[in-house]
Amino acid sequence: MHEIGVRETINFLGLTFNIETLKMTWLAMGIVILVACLATRNLKVVPQGWQNFVEMIILWLHDQIDAMMGSRGRMLAPFIVGLFMFLLASNLIGLVPLMASPTNDLNTTLGLALLVVCIVHCLGLYFKGGHYIAHFFQPTPVFVVINMIEEIAKPITLAFRLFGNILAGEILIIVLLKLMPIWMPIPSVAWLAFSIFISCVQAVIFTMLSMAYLANAVKEDHAE
Amino acid sequence: MIEINATILAQILNFLILVVLLRAVAYKPVARLLQQRSDKIRNDLEKAEADRKAAEQTLADYKVQLADAHKKAQDIVDKANLTARQEHDAAVAETRKEIERMKQVAQAEIENERNRAFEDMKSQIVTLSLAAAGKVVSKNIDTKENDKLVNEFISNLNKDMFADLK
Repeated sequence: MHEIGVRETINFLGLTFNIETLKMTWLAMGIVILVACLATRNLKVVPQGWQNFVEMIILWLHDQIDAMMGSRGRMLAPFIVGLFMFLLASNLIGLVPLMASPTNDLNTTLGLALLVVCIVHCLGLYFKGGHYIAHFFQPTPVFVVINMIEEIAKPITLAFRLFGNILAGEILIIVLLKLMPIWMPIPSVAWLAFSIFISCVQAVIFTMLSMAYLANAVKEDHAE
Repeated sequence: MIEINATILAQILNFLILVVLLRAVAYKPVARLLQQRSDKIRNDLEKAEADRKAAEQTLADYKVQLADAHKKAQDIVDKANLTARQEHDAAVAETRKEIERMKQVAQAEIENERNRAFEDMKSQIVTLSLAAAGKVVSKNIDTKENDKLVNEFISNLNKDMFADLK
């Protein structure tokens, strides 16, 4: 059983790593790649098996991307598809006994959130240049403070929302198992089912919000 | 519980690796496939539309051809009917003429026969009359006188006396 909140760490090249998180991340990556390989091993025009699953995800995300980001969005589609599949796999493997979600570590979620925000700002500068910087000073230069807080809040909320949801789910599973006698599995099972739902929803929310932020940077402005 | 350490860098790196791998392994082939599928569907729909148009065109052509054929057939039948009628009329007229001609021939023959019969009878009457006259008169008249008498007798004969022969 886990010791809640205590993480096993290793030192490598003078840096500290949470080894369990890394292992679980690699496992999640492995699962995603495996599913992707299974799905694309034998691609057919008429889809079958896993191909349906991956196609469904890609088509759905394509729809969302087209709706939110416009024509430049397709460039980011692999990133968003990868983000969604990785988060889904990460969130769900935490529900397997003896495993933990990579996303129950703030390092993972904050890393992803910072990556998203970095991409947002880089693309914003690339596509819009001066306009992108100028829009932080609108409608009046005083607003730069509020805008900055908003920009800083973005990765933090993104990271903590996912981290909190997943960690809470896992903690409660452990707590419930300790709290209830073994012949009374209903609360744990119910919570497990709810956690599956939460895992999917949080993956969707993280992906959707990332898309919304990216859309801000990428979308062609018709107003200006 | 929420200490930030170098794991954050590792996770960013991990995720970037994942995205690159996923893009190569899954996203590109699937996206290409989806593109192919939508292309195929679009092509199929376009082809179906073109086929439908072609079929309609062909049907229209066939209908026109059929109508033409009907018209031609009707023309041929009409012409045949006309020809048959003309030939029939001609044949009837020919037959009538033939009948008329045969009637005339027959009438002419009848006339001839009657005339000949009349001539025969006339000569027989002459002979009989001469014989009768010879016996009755019993008087010798010279040949000249005789011929004169006979001719007189004969010229006095006329057809009206033999009206019952007609």
